[in-house]
Amino acid sequence: MPEVLKSLPRFLPEIALTAALLLVVLVDATGIKARNALSRLLTALGLAAALALSLADHGVPSETWSGMLVADPMGSFFKALLVGASLVVALAFTFRNSAELHGLGQGEFHALLLAVTLSNLLLASANDLAMLYLALEMVSITSYVMVAYFKGDRMSNEASLKYVLFGAVSTGAMVYGMSLLYGLTGSTSLPTIRAFLSEGLTDQNRFAVYLIALLIFAGFGFKTAAVPFHFWCPDVYQGAPTPVTAFLSVAPKAAGFSIMLRFFFGGLSSHGATPWDLSGLIDWTWLLMLISVLTMTVGNVAALTQTNMKRLLAYSSIAHAGYVMMGVVALSENGARALMIYLLAYVVMNLGAFLVVTLVHKQDGTFDLRDYAGLSKRAPGLTFAMAIFLFSLMGIPPLVGFMGKFYVFAAVIERGPSYWAYGTIGAVNAAIGAYYYARVLKTMIIDEPHVEKPAFRLPTADLAWIAALAAANILPLLFWSRVEAWARASLSIYAGL
Amino acid sequence: MIGLPHYLLVSAALFCLGVLGVLTRRNAVNVLMGIELILNSANLNLVAFSRYGSGNLQGQMFAIFVIVIAAAEAAVALAIVLTLYRLRRTPNLDQADILRG
Repeated sequence: MPEVLKSLPRFLPEIALTAALLLVVLVDATGIKARNALSRLLTALGLAAALALSLADHGVPSETWSGMLVADPMGSFFKALLVGASLVVALAFTFRNSAELHGLGQGEFHALLLAVTLSNLLLASANDLAMLYLALEMVSITSYVMVAYFKGDRMSNEASLKYVLFGAVSTGAMVYGMSLLYGLTGSTSLPTIRAFLSEGLTDQNRFAVYLIALLIFAGFGFKTAAVPFHFWCPDVYQGAPTPVTAFLSVAPKAAGFSIMLRFFFGGLSSHGATPWDLSGLIDWTWLLMLISVLTMTVGNVAALTQTNMKRLLAYSSIAHAGYVMMGVVALSENGARALMIYLLAYVVMNLGAFLVVTLVHKQDGTFDLRDYAGLSKRAPGLTFAMAIFLFSLMGIPPLVGFMGKFYVFAAVIERGPSYWAYGTIGAVNAAIGAYYYARVLKTMIIDEPHVEKPAFRLPTADLAWIAALAAANILPLLFWSRVEAWARASLSIYAGL
Repeated sequence: MIGLPHYLLVSAALFCLGVLGVLTRRNAVNVLMGIELILNSANLNLVAFSRYGSGNLQGQMFAIFVIVIAAAEAAVALAIVLTLYRLRRTPNLDQADILRG
């Protein structure tokens, strides 16, 4: 009982989301006329409350719920980021402006959105292998249903089928690795595992831990769409309804990176040194570096030839996962801070780009890049906003995307000359990325359209959200020191014992 | 005398059979059976380690959660396979091939 009373005040964002989730299900079940508007309102209120509560948590880092979860500044940062992303998706991507979701039930969609958000929050603060697995599967299972939401559609069905099969196999490999880790260390609690590993390992066990980490990485790699666990990503992003794609491309990915940080730093690092110090125990750097290089290269090269906008952005999101992972590879406080800043920037630029894709599909009924020709004359405002999102994805100053890239590259380069080749590969990749983003811009601005299309009608609400997301790509630069201070203050991670 | 190594060997064999099933089967339901094998190999590991190794019950508790999650996942996956069958009149995965490139 004292444990519950101690844990409850640190669990308020999750409680707000659970309450909203139950209310949405109940309201939808009543069948009243206003249930769609009401469920959307409840979702927005629940998410806004959860956002405020995550930002308000300033307690000391500690375990909650008998060591199942932790409450620490890094957890609060990721909670705020994840809830914020869900809030933007719930408000900006409505059933009105998505041609795919139009006419489908809204109550279930919002209930699923809240469920994924809740499980993302649990994943971001998991401190035990069992909790980690449960949260990761809860994210996965609810997102399989979201991808399949467009029930009568062959593409949506195929996408969800591929997603569920890839997901089940990767998480199966992960739980097998976890069972071996439990056998080796005798505990499922991350701090205990860390204490055990830091006492030193025989060469035999060192190999076992390497193998275990590979198996467990299958689960994290699946969530973050890292090579070689990325095969589902383009198909799922193309087949899923666009609002779902936008959501999946930011929130579960960010949650995956938060648990990657927590697992590799909180579970598999040496005890006694700072929580971030992994050196001396096992040489992870080269493994993670290889995965990161492959991820960004495969994503960027495959994106070069895409003509479907959703598929292009899917490969671009794989490439961005590679850049974000540079923050993990650096294995330093600056690396973790760079990862957080990059994810903040990634949320606003990627959601913006997907919102433009959704609106063009609503108007013209197409995801094909060739049909974007001449868009600048029909919708100059939309084209200008898309240019901002794409320049931000490219990493052009003075946009937030540049700041994200700047911090991850700086974190890698300051680690010393042996990391410089890696940084160079990253820079080459950023240049390749610039090519296909520029190709989208060229199509929109320079290419002549094949057929005359009616004028582009943009409702005020959509215009406002586009403008808000575009502003979110520029304005943070004006108070950058505060953003940086927030990320720096969030570096504290609960390391236990 | 049967000890920990025997259990570990069986579970490793189950894991490999599960992966093999996932990689070679065309029928979606058979692939799901392979996935169940993978999850159950992990369960066997957890319970065996709990009995012979650490002496605590964390592994058994974990195994119960894995069983529950496997049931939930199978429910969602079978619903999706059923929709596949309704849309294409086949449970075969190689006919789900409109998304590519």
